[in-house]
Amino acid sequence: MTAMRVDAKVVMLGKESVGKTSLVERYVHRRFLVGPYQNTIGAAFVAKQIHVGDKVVTLGIWDTAGSERYEAMSRIYYRGARAAIVCYDLTDSSSFQRAKFWVKELQNCEEHCKIYLCGTKSDLAEADRSIRQVDYHDVQDFADEIGAQHFETSSKTGNNVDELFQKVAEDFSSSAFELMPEGTGVDLGQKKDSYIYSCCHN
Amino acid sequence: MAADVHNKAWESQNGSLVPGARLRHERSDSPTPGLVEGTEPGAGQESAMFVHARSFEDLTADSDGQAEVNSGKESDLGQVKDEEGRVVQHIETEDQQTGTSQGGARAKEEDVTSEEWRAHKKHVFVLSEAGKPIYTRYGTEEALSSTMGVMMALVSFVEAEKNIIRSIQGDGYRVVFLRKSPLVLVGVSRTSQSDRELTRELLYVYYQIVSLLTLTQLNHVFQHKQNYDLRRLLAGSEHLTDNLLRLLDRDPGLLLSAVTCLPLASSARDVVSSALQAAKTKSLVFSILMAGSRLVTLVRKKDQSLHHMDLHLLFNLVGSSSSFREGEGWTPICLPKFNTAGFFHAHISYLQSASDLCLILVSTDREDFFNLSECKHRIVERLRRRSAWQALQEALRCPSYPVSQVAIPELRHFVYKSKSSGLYTSPELPVPYQTDEEQERLMVLYQYLHSCLHHPTRPLCSIYRCGETENLFAWVTSGFELYLCFSPLGTKSVAVSAVNKLLKWIRKEEERLFILNPLTY
Repeated sequence: MTAMRVDAKVVMLGKESVGKTSLVERYVHRRFLVGPYQNTIGAAFVAKQIHVGDKVVTLGIWDTAGSERYEAMSRIYYRGARAAIVCYDLTDSSSFQRAKFWVKELQNCEEHCKIYLCGTKSDLAEADRSIRQVDYHDVQDFADEIGAQHFETSSKTGNNVDELFQKVAEDFSSSAFELMPEGTGVDLGQKKDSYIYSCCHN
Repeated sequence: MAADVHNKAWESQNGSLVPGARLRHERSDSPTPGLVEGTEPGAGQESAMFVHARSFEDLTADSDGQAEVNSGKESDLGQVKDEEGRVVQHIETEDQQTGTSQGGARAKEEDVTSEEWRAHKKHVFVLSEAGKPIYTRYGTEEALSSTMGVMMALVSFVEAEKNIIRSIQGDGYRVVFLRKSPLVLVGVSRTSQSDRELTRELLYVYYQIVSLLTLTQLNHVFQHKQNYDLRRLLAGSEHLTDNLLRLLDRDPGLLLSAVTCLPLASSARDVVSSALQAAKTKSLVFSILMAGSRLVTLVRKKDQSLHHMDLHLLFNLVGSSSSFREGEGWTPICLPKFNTAGFFHAHISYLQSASDLCLILVSTDREDFFNLSECKHRIVERLRRRSAWQALQEALRCPSYPVSQVAIPELRHFVYKSKSSGLYTSPELPVPYQTDEEQERLMVLYQYLHSCLHHPTRPLCSIYRCGETENLFAWVTSGFELYLCFSPLGTKSVAVSAVNKLLKWIRKEEERLFILNPLTY
């Protein structure tokens, strides 16, 4: 079948209008759409292939809506996710509080999900330092504490966006083998497929 | 105004949707097609796709149900109106008093104290029963909290006497109230629309909100906290309601409780329908392919029909958001006319990134995304393999047709609805009606005709109206509703003979303009 063959489920979480969709848009379509803010309805799914060394990993990215309305649904999006990109807006401190909420949620419900904290709109924070409301080092400390990776990105300029997703894919491909139960005696190619199935269909 | 009126109420012979079999063979021979439901041009061959709606009686029925006092207490209501006539003034002054203190609205938002704000033709407000603002069409909700408080006070004041406030008229305004617990909706209009028309629009707004939250959740939220700020849950959905209100001003489909189709050769449409039909999963209830605001085809689960109102809400959801272009959308949605209690889950995606063709797969299972995603791929593959893809692309290039195709020189525009199929057809708007204002003006005229044909106590079966800028003719039978707009130089006899010619033309083109073979899984 031509339908999704997804290796790793990645979920985007964070307060509304922090720029989750823009980040995905930049990474997947290499563009930044200027125009009135359009909130995501429900969630949007995109699959994207990425090279890690000589392997190809397909990320299945769930771009969720930040609106509180969909909070009850969010569990279906992050369940079984291998990576969560928790976004906050560098120019909005309340969005970082919201990010902490998501981190707690993930720690409680999805212990195998790796967390990537992502401060968005870094171009704005660099253009005018005074509007930055979330300190880099504070977040770094928090990231260390919870064992998360930490990035600051700009979807407008594309800064650090590829690096973020590259890291997600690399971490996945190295951990995929760690997690593999040993001694099942199935060859790797096949094992990978069956694993994939359970990962995105459970 | 109305130069000639035939005041004759019609009655449907059979309430059922399925046309009598004996009528079938008369389908194309009938000299005046469509006088009987199920044989009119555009009538479907099979059972209806949509829940049958006889226009807005059906829509307002349940709002009337809540307000049992409707006709029985006519005198009571009259009293209320008189009483409230004074209160209108009260609102106005209140407005002015509170006005000055709230100058600092955001630049994007309008100042609710300004003349421009007042000058809008139609305002819509939604508030909670605690009087808390939930939505306003213009300006910000915060700035209007005292105004909405007054609105709620009016509602409660009248209810204290075991009455229901319906509308207030005065000073060229019409204020219409719709109480749909736990919400209160208020429309303030300067147009010539009737109370019923305005109530219908408010009802649409109400269902728009329910479609996002379900009534169950709405009730739950307010039961727990009466003064809950619902804007928290509705955040980001304002543009859906804005867009819906725009559609209500312009789209004849919402007025007629009908949907229009993309003109497409029936052979191509059948191929598309069967492609949708073939890609099914257990949880799938409706597969809908749309192009812009036009329906290409709809396949449904056996025994389940979609209400046109729910379909309009889906169209509105898709049409007012670019979010589905970025990937495959997966969203909970309540179809309030189907069931106000629960969510469906809709897989929404465009068939091609730059295409207008949007596929909506409505499922009952929120875990079924990947199955539906696979259905979508199967549909795309199947369409590509057949000739249908090419036909679709061509049809998309001319999604409408000029009225000149009908070859009636005086005819400027028309709207024809086949009642049994719930579908309508209408040519593109000609030059004099292409601006927004003119388009809305024409819609208001159609609305007027519509309200005459569907008057609750004195429905007309036809009406001819001469005006300075156009002549209008409307006719309703048990099979169809027809609204025509002629040049002001036309005469009534021209109009009457045009109807016959037009019906013949529609009959000839019906395979292209309507969905005659709706499929089920």
